[in-house]
Amino acid sequence: MAWVAQFERVREGDATPPRPIGPWRLGWRRFRRDRWGSFSLLVLCVILVLALFGAATLTRLVGHNGQTPFPYAASLTGKRPVGPWTRVAALTTPRVDEYGGPLPLPRGTKTTLLVLGADGPLGRDEAIRLFDGMRTSLEIGLLAALVAVLIALPIGTVAGYFGGRVDDVVSTLTESIMAFPLLLFLVYANRFLLNDFGALSWSWVLPAGVVGESVLIGAVTSFYPLRLVRAQLLVLRHAEFVEAARMVGASDRRIMRRHLLPHLVPTLLVWGAIAVGTNMLVEVGLSFLGLGVDPSIPTLGTLLSTVWGTIFNPNTYNSHNYTPWQTIFPMAAMVITVVCLNRFADAVRSALEPRATR
Amino acid sequence: MTRAVVFLLRRAVAGVFTLVAMVSLTFTIFWATPTQPARFVYQHQLLTNDEIRQANHLLGTDEPKLEQWVHYVTHLLRFDFGTMWESSFLTGNGQLVRPPIAPLVDPALRTTLSLLLGGAFLVLLLAVPLGTFAGSRLGSVGDRTVSLVALLGVCTHPMVIGILVRSLFAHRLHWLPPTGYCPLRNGAPGCTGIVAWADHLVLPWVTFALLFLALYIRMVRASVAETLHEDFVRTARAKGASPLRILSAHVLPNTALRILTMIGMEIGTAIGVCIYIETAYRLPGLASVAVRAMAGDSAALDLPLILAVVFVISLIVVAGNLVVDAFTLFVDPRVAIARGRATTKSAAGGVI
Repeated sequence: MAWVAQFERVREGDATPPRPIGPWRLGWRRFRRDRWGSFSLLVLCVILVLALFGAATLTRLVGHNGQTPFPYAASLTGKRPVGPWTRVAALTTPRVDEYGGPLPLPRGTKTTLLVLGADGPLGRDEAIRLFDGMRTSLEIGLLAALVAVLIALPIGTVAGYFGGRVDDVVSTLTESIMAFPLLLFLVYANRFLLNDFGALSWSWVLPAGVVGESVLIGAVTSFYPLRLVRAQLLVLRHAEFVEAARMVGASDRRIMRRHLLPHLVPTLLVWGAIAVGTNMLVEVGLSFLGLGVDPSIPTLGTLLSTVWGTIFNPNTYNSHNYTPWQTIFPMAAMVITVVCLNRFADAVRSALEPRATR
Repeated sequence: MTRAVVFLLRRAVAGVFTLVAMVSLTFTIFWATPTQPARFVYQHQLLTNDEIRQANHLLGTDEPKLEQWVHYVTHLLRFDFGTMWESSFLTGNGQLVRPPIAPLVDPALRTTLSLLLGGAFLVLLLAVPLGTFAGSRLGSVGDRTVSLVALLGVCTHPMVIGILVRSLFAHRLHWLPPTGYCPLRNGAPGCTGIVAWADHLVLPWVTFALLFLALYIRMVRASVAETLHEDFVRTARAKGASPLRILSAHVLPNTALRILTMIGMEIGTAIGVCIYIETAYRLPGLASVAVRAMAGDSAALDLPLILAVVFVISLIVVAGNLVVDAFTLFVDPRVAIARGRATTKSAAGGVI
């Protein structure tokens, strides 16, 4: 029986049992089995690539950048801003006669392609602004989530690990702050507190106001991860490995850092994915309040609020000027990103944490 | 019976403490801001020191902070909103005439409450059947469709949804009026009564519901799916109960508790969402009053108006939580026995 021989060969070969698969590897395999989750991860990677490299690539391809206004795409024709895939005259200043009326263009005028149309009466390229906006919005979302974790992790760990009176104090403080009308506080903070942060910027990577807004959103949304961390640690601090570590003589700091922190990673990862989406929505909301970054900097929020106006300055509906494209593209980008982030977070949660029911 | 009463009383007292805390916090934040109240009295740019002193005396801001705090807290707790600083003017003999806040806040409160209560009712009306439908057939096509639609609702900003719904149904199709609010009573002729009121509020209610449907459908679905595995449901099925009876008599009462808890936690978010919806549909609600308080003047904050707005918003949250607690007691009387800390639920935290 020759087929037995292959088992004997295998048995001679291995001296040690194979390494057990770690929890991250197992989690990744479980994650891969969730088809919608994997698809969301793929879409998120595509969005990331588009956001990081899309604007520069498109600028090279079409030959103009996102700030050049094209009057022939919008205001000069007296009609609505042009829709997707339109060729417009590549002139930045209109040719007008002495009364301001438009002159006919000579036959050889160069035209340029606006892939997603114009972004409003200014006639800038919507596609490049959209990619820039996606990048800035994602930056704000990520930075805000990071800030929130940076605030919540130390406080939550201390409150959850020590429990008792420390926990009482922190919880009461958190709940009272959470009970405050945060929207009003944001209005106040943006108008009176943010002047110092507004100066922090790093050319096109971090436009002015992005860091300030991320810090603000992060500070305001840090209460939820604080509660998550605290709740988990309140349970974990009675575990046997903590007791064992304490018996061996580990200091509290060492226990918190080496033994307890790794347990928080899945929870914070899931929360982080959802939080990036939520922060993007918050940023849109702040732009609608007129409190976001400067409207000249493209983010998904400013792209929408320049079309629809802010709370203090709402634009009236004008059916002659209105094209749905300037609303559809930023909104589609936002919805797709947030939906994928949520779905990804759900899949990660199912993959990394034991589930009792489906 | 007395336990329930004691429980509710404890919550009410905690609510009053929350109100006082909110007002105090706002008061403290106001005094930490570099704002110049004298601008409300003298409108020109450069104020002399005498003018500043005179204005502060007229407004009452030169009294000790503690006295001012006591004054505001005691008046607000009696629902006396006082007079605002904005739009005040100096008469000939040096008196400062200040317009009262109540005529501004009362109609705004009614508008916002109409939107909130109607929207909440619509959410419950839609979420419970849809969630039950999805929860009783997990993994099926119907479940996936409902979950997907619900997910889409939570991923868009309410203002964007509001604007899109408005431009589709009001401007394009002309089915419903786009903006404006008609009160139930004492409105302009043609704009009073329940028909006009509902007519103007349908689109805002739908927008409100679309956002919260997502959260509630998910929760109802999870809760129904979990309850359907319980033993008592199996017993009922074995005894021959129809699916409808199982759902209505056995599953839903258990879900009701979770729905109520969630409502209590979400009141704050709901008010925040209301601000955006009111802007999208130009409803003269608390949003416009809050906006006026925050940014009416370029460089000064109107303290009495801000305090009144914060108080009213916190009042809605506290009252809402009390009502939810009362309903919870009715559904599950064991709640009154549990010795929990009286927690303050988050007030207008809605920033989404």
